[in-house]
Amino acid sequence: MGDAFCSDCKRQTEVVFDHSAGDTVCSECGLVLESHSIDETSEWRTFANESGDNDPVRVGGPTNPLLADGGLSTVIAKPNGGSGEFLSSSLGRWQNRGSNPDRGLILAFKTIATMSDRLGLVATIKDRANEIYKRVEDQKSSRGRNQDALLAACLYIACRQEDKPRTVKEICSVANGATKKEIGRAKEYIVKQLGLETGQSVEMGTIHAGDFMRRFCSNLGMNNQAVKAAQEAVQKSEEFDIRRSPISIAAAVIYIITQLSEEKKPSLKDISGATGVAEGTIRNSYKDLYPHVLKIIPSWFAKEEDLKNLCSP
Amino acid sequence: MAARRNNPSGIVPTIQNIVSTVDLDCVLDLNHIALHSRNSEFFPKRFSAVIMRIKDPKTTALIFASGKMVCTGAKTEAQSKLAARKFARIIQKLGFPAKFRDFRIQNIVASCDVQFTIRLEKFACTSHGAFSTYEPELFPGLIYRMKQPKLVLLIFVSGNVVIAGAKKRDDFYTAFDNIYPVLAEFKK
Repeated sequence: MGDAFCSDCKRQTEVVFDHSAGDTVCSECGLVLESHSIDETSEWRTFANESGDNDPVRVGGPTNPLLADGGLSTVIAKPNGGSGEFLSSSLGRWQNRGSNPDRGLILAFKTIATMSDRLGLVATIKDRANEIYKRVEDQKSSRGRNQDALLAACLYIACRQEDKPRTVKEICSVANGATKKEIGRAKEYIVKQLGLETGQSVEMGTIHAGDFMRRFCSNLGMNNQAVKAAQEAVQKSEEFDIRRSPISIAAAVIYIITQLSEEKKPSLKDISGATGVAEGTIRNSYKDLYPHVLKIIPSWFAKEEDLKNLCSP
Repeated sequence: MAARRNNPSGIVPTIQNIVSTVDLDCVLDLNHIALHSRNSEFFPKRFSAVIMRIKDPKTTALIFASGKMVCTGAKTEAQSKLAARKFARIIQKLGFPAKFRDFRIQNIVASCDVQFTIRLEKFACTSHGAFSTYEPELFPGLIYRMKQPKLVLLIFVSGNVVIAGAKKRDDFYTAFDNIYPVLAEFKK
């Protein structure tokens, strides 16, 4: 529905777009202004469980502005039968020998996509990670670096910039082979490079325990009440002088809340698995939190006697 | 050098370590040195230098085949120079024509305690955030890279501050004078 100039009515009239016939028709006199308009929506719907064998889609994916030519080039695919082996495979070889300058980039993007899939991240974060990687790659000084660590660090920074931080241990779990230390070093390196390039515009807030609460709680299957209580508790705990990593504090708070609730209580091992914090660390953080437990846990969640019943560390 | 105590808090950082280098100006046979001295170790596969230690001042030196030497572990500049001279004397006694060229202090590490706890997250968020790196997951301290003088400060929640990268004593006095009022702002 829009307005256009109709040549019969000689004025601006309301115009109807008929999708089935592809016509733009004037609503006053019925004159067809444009016909055979090209439909730009997708021809076929794609589903997650459909295989690629009889995929009728005739177009490729969306254009990627990060790649050199927008990703428009054509690739010769390998046939999955054994037909005409000699011809098609040698064509494939000649194609790949070459000239595309983006090969490394495409491979990197694919790795980032796999990692973000495993973590269940949205496309925004994945695209941001791709962008960060491209910006770092543009400065040629990253040659001798551990690629896996670099890609993992790009993803880590992208998550942080979108205010949905992931712990380095979580990123470690999907990055093949990169250790926490390597990812940390790569992250410092990237931050420095981006700072050099754009004059210190890298913005990343510090992590807080509250950012991870929701995710850890849902991993453990806590009910809503418990989750809310945990989030409040973590907010309050920031006022006290507890010298522990925010993740450890989060894990200890979850432990306290689950011990206080009546439902099935996850063991230290379960909490350790869900948060990535070692059991010993959770115990030590519990020791640090115990003196303040009265002030941290919200009163609507647990009464004082329950708190007294909490096992002393 | 006159001692400067113009910091209103009266806290002065104490030097923990000084790294200095000197050129002995002659080619050395590391194997010979390692065999003929008691207090040295030399594993060429691991590291291509002789590691020699002396008891007074308690220091360690890395002696390279090119004749260059790195001396670490001294607590004052004078001690560092004295230790380097002692090492050079040992090399002389072993039969090499060692000289004492270009003695230079490369790095001074100092630490101090500001006596109050500091809110590191707030610090990293403010205008000083451009110079700070605070990653509690990776390292519990905030890494502050000061531009003038160019050195690195490690600031911890407990109030301990480590200053590294200074080449002169005055540098880290200035750095501490600069950072103290900022830290006082973020007292917990």
